Amino acid sequence: MPAAEPIVAEGLGRHFGDKIAIDPLDVSVDRGQRVGIVGADGAGKTTLLQMLAGILDPTEGECRVLGFDTRQGAKRIAARIGYMSQGFTLYDRLSVKENLTFAARIRDVPDKLYRERSEQLLSMAGLGRFTDRPAAKLSGGMRKKLSLCTNLVHEPELLILDEPGLGVDPLSRRHLWAMLDRFQAQGITTVVATSYMDEAERCDRILLLEQGRVLADGTLEELLRDVAGRVFTVHAENAGRGLRELSGILAKIESVHSVQWLPDHLRLVVKTDIAKNRLSESSPKSLHVAAVEPRLEDLFVLRTERMTGEQQFLELSRQDRGKGEGLGVNGLSVRFGHFKAVDRVSFDAPAGELLALLGPNGAGKTTLIRALCGLVAIDEGSARVAGLSPGAGSAALRRQIGYMSQRFSLYLELTPSENLRFFANAYGLAGGAARTAIDWARGVTGLTDLPDKLTRDLSNALRQRLALACSLLHRPRVLFLDEPTSGVDPVARYRFWRVIRELAASGMTVVVTTHYLEEAAYCDRLALMLDGRLLAHGGRASLNHSLGLDAGATVEALFTAAIEQAGTANSRALVP
Amino acid sequence: MKGHRLRALVIKESRELIRDPITVALAVIMPLIMLFLFGYAVNLDVERVALGIYDLDNTPASRALTARFDSSRYFQLQQKSADLHDLDSAMQSSTIKMGVVIPAGFARQLLRDESAPVQVIVDGGYPVLARLASAYAEAVIGNFPAPRQAAIRVRARVWFNPSLRSVNFVVPGLFAVILMAFPPLLTALAIVREKETGTIEQIYASPVTSGEFIVGKLVPYGLVAFLEILMVIAVGFAWFQVPMTGSPALLLVSAFVYVLTTVGIGLLVSSLVRTQLAAMLITLIVTLMPSFLFSGFLFPLFTMPLGLQLYSRLFPAGDFMEISRGVVLKSAGLEAVMPHLVMLIIYTVLIFIFAAWRMRQKVV
Repeated sequence: MPAAEPIVAEGLGRHFGDKIAIDPLDVSVDRGQRVGIVGADGAGKTTLLQMLAGILDPTEGECRVLGFDTRQGAKRIAARIGYMSQGFTLYDRLSVKENLTFAARIRDVPDKLYRERSEQLLSMAGLGRFTDRPAAKLSGGMRKKLSLCTNLVHEPELLILDEPGLGVDPLSRRHLWAMLDRFQAQGITTVVATSYMDEAERCDRILLLEQGRVLADGTLEELLRDVAGRVFTVHAENAGRGLRELSGILAKIESVHSVQWLPDHLRLVVKTDIAKNRLSESSPKSLHVAAVEPRLEDLFVLRTERMTGEQQFLELSRQDRGKGEGLGVNGLSVRFGHFKAVDRVSFDAPAGELLALLGPNGAGKTTLIRALCGLVAIDEGSARVAGLSPGAGSAALRRQIGYMSQRFSLYLELTPSENLRFFANAYGLAGGAARTAIDWARGVTGLTDLPDKLTRDLSNALRQRLALACSLLHRPRVLFLDEPTSGVDPVARYRFWRVIRELAASGMTVVVTTHYLEEAAYCDRLALMLDGRLLAHGGRASLNHSLGLDAGATVEALFTAAIEQAGTANSRALVP
Repeated sequence: MKGHRLRALVIKESRELIRDPITVALAVIMPLIMLFLFGYAVNLDVERVALGIYDLDNTPASRALTARFDSSRYFQLQQKSADLHDLDSAMQSSTIKMGVVIPAGFARQLLRDESAPVQVIVDGGYPVLARLASAYAEAVIGNFPAPRQAAIRVRARVWFNPSLRSVNFVVPGLFAVILMAFPPLLTALAIVREKETGTIEQIYASPVTSGEFIVGKLVPYGLVAFLEILMVIAVGFAWFQVPMTGSPALLLVSAFVYVLTTVGIGLLVSSLVRTQLAAMLITLIVTLMPSFLFSGFLFPLFTMPLGLQLYSRLFPAGDFMEISRGVVLKSAGLEAVMPHLVMLIIYTVLIFIFAAWRMRQKVV
C-alpha cells in the first residue's frame, strides 16, 4: 500500500451553533513533519486537533488522515494515531503500569511487543521506578509523560498533541520534548498545539491560529521575515517619568500597533515604517529607540486585526495609597489531609513590589494565595499581610487586600456596571463614595466605556479588566492576582500588565501567579514554586547569578536550573 | 467485538470500582436503607384508628358498645366528648379520625328490640382510611350486642396472602423499586465520569467500539447490581419474614434480567448527558419516580385512566413487580411470569441497542 499523506484537509470547518470555531481551511501535512499550531486560548486549536483525530466531525469540508476519511474511517484512524488531549487522560485509580497496559490492550498491541515497548517507554520517560504508583499520585510532569507513553505504545504513524507543555514544570517539559525528538527521528509525524512560543520554535512548520482562522503558515524563519523591522524597544534615561511621558506621544501615532510596558523599557510593534520615523522625531532626546529581533508573538500581535495602539490610563500618584507594610511569609504550610499543598514557604514583598509567583499547575500557588487572603487555614508558620495576620473571617484583613481569582468571580448574569456597583456595596461603599470608587477603578483599568450587555457576553480580555476593577474598588494595599492572564490574547495581556505595573508603582504590593514564565519579565522579583515548595526567590538578575546562569538567561532556563539544584523532585512530599 | 479489548475494559473498570470504596459502600448500604425505611413506613394496614365517642345515653349498654370499639384492634378510644362541638374540634385537629355518637334512649330501644340508631362520623380527608374505618365500624356495630342471623352468609377467603399483612405485599414490591433505583444510579455515573475527567477522549481516539465500551461497563456494574439483588432479597425474607411460596431460582433469574434492564437505563442516561449531576437527576426522574407511581407498587394500575396505563408500560418496573409478587406470594411458575419476562428481555435488548447507538464515538 503506498503511504498516504498523513493529513489532507480541504475546506475543513466547524461551527457550534452560531459560533464559528474553525473557519474552513486547507491544510496538508507531509510525512515526518512536525507542525505547531499556535494560538491563544479559544483560538480553535483543540477543535482543529479533535477533527484531525477523527473524534469530532467537521461541519464543513473534509479531512483525510493517513488516507482515511475522518467521518467514516475514524476507528481506522484511531488505530494508527496517538492523540493526547489537553486534560487528564489517565485513570487515577490505576497504577502507571495498569494505565499503560490498558492503553496497549485497547490498541491491539500484541503481548510480546507490549512487554518490549513498555519497558523501553517507561525507562525513557523516567517512570521505570514508579510502575506500581497510582496515577493520582504522580506529579503533573510525570502524568504528562505517562500520557505520552500511552499514546506511543502502539507506535503510531501520526501523533496529535494538545498543549503537552501546559501545567508542566520546565524540566519535565524538556524531557517530554526529548522524547518527541527521539520519535520524530524515527519518522513519526507530529501535530502539536501550543501556546508556548519556545515549543513552537521547535517545530518545522507553524500554523498561527486566531479566532478559527489561520493567520500565518510557514517555517519560523518565513514567519519572522514578515515582522522584521517592525519591532522596536524604547529605553529612557529616567525609566519611570521618561517613559510615562511617552505614552501621550504614542497614543497620537496611528500606526503603533501594540505597546508592551516592561520594567525599564517599552517594546513596540509598528504597522508601517512611518511610525518609526514619527517616533524618532517626536520623542525627547533622552529616549533611545532601537530596532530589535522580532519574536513569534510579535507576528501574532501584528496579524491580529484588532489594532489597539496605545491606550491611556488614569495616572496614579503615590497619594492614592497609604503607606503600609507589604507581605511577609514565614515557614507557611497548608495541608489537605496527607497532602502538603504548601510546604514551609518563606518570602517577603515590601510595599510597592510586583512579585511573580511562578510554577506549573499544582505547584501550590493558588493555595498559598488563598491562605494569605484568609480563605484557607494556615497549618504551620505565619504570615503578615498589610500588617495583619490572616485568620479566618478577618474583616480587617479583607479591607486591606484585593483578590482576583483564577476564574474571574464576576456575576455573569449582571451587566459590568451592575457588577461594579455590587462589589462596591459589598465593600461597604454606598452612594457618592461608591460612585467615586467606581469611577476611579474604571479609570485605572481603562474601562472608559462599559458595554451595556451581560458580563457573560463580554470578551475574556474585557472580563479580565472588569474583574481587576472590582478587586480595586476599596483601594487595597496588597493585591493578589491568580492567573489573571490565562485565556487572554497577547495584546490584552500587554495592556493588563501595564495597569499592574502602574498599581505597583503607586505603592501597592502586587502578587501575581502565572504559568506563562515569560511574564516574569514584568515583575520586580520572582518566587519559583514546585510541588508546594519555594525553590528560589529574588530578582531575576541575582537568581541568574546565584544559579550560575548568564545574565540574559530565560526564565525557563532559570526555573529548570532551580529545579535541578533542588534535586529532581518527582513527587510531592507526603506527610508521613 | 474483540476479546482482548473487552477484557482490558472489564479489568480496568473492575479495578476502578474496587478501588473506590465509597461507591461500593453506597451501592451496598443505600438499597438496605431504602428497604428498611419503606418496609416499615409503607404500611397499608388500617389499625388503631383514633376514636372519639359522644355518649348521650350513658347506660350499661352504651358503655358496652364503647368498650367493644376500644377492645377492637382497629380502633383506639382517644376521648369521650362532652358535647358535639367538642367532637367537631377534635376531628378538626386530627386528634380523632372517627367519631361515634350514641343518642339518648339507645339502651331502651335495644331492649324493646327496636332498631337503635348510632351515628358514625368519619374524617374523609384520607378516603382509603375513611372507607376502611367506616366498614370496620359497621362490623363492630352490626355484631352488637350479638351477631345476627342473615339470609345469606358470605365466607370470604383470602388467597395468597391469607394474613393480609401488607408487608408481604410491600417487600416484594420494594424489590422492583430498589433494583430500579440504585443500580442505574451507579452506572449513570460510570460513563459521565469519564466525560467529566476527559479520559473518554482517549477511548474515542482508540479502536474501542461503542459496543465494547458499553459491555465493558456493563459487566462489572451488572455484577455489583446482582450482589444488590441477593442482598435485598435475602434481607427482605430474613428480616421481614415474608413467606416465599414460589421458586427462589425463578425470582433470581428474573431479577437478573430486570437488573440488566435497569443497569442499561443508567448507561443510556450516561451516554446522553455531560455532567454527573445531570446524570443523577435524570436517572432519579426516569427510574425512581415511575417505579413508585407507575409500577403498581402502591396504586393498582388498572384503576388508572387508559392513557396513564399505556404510559406506565414504558417503564419495566411494572413487569418485574408482577413477577416478584407473583413468585413470592402466588407461587407463580415460569408459565405465569413468561409474558412479563419476555417484556423485560425485549426492553433490555432495546435499551442496549439504543445506548450503543447513542454512544457515538465523537466529542459532540
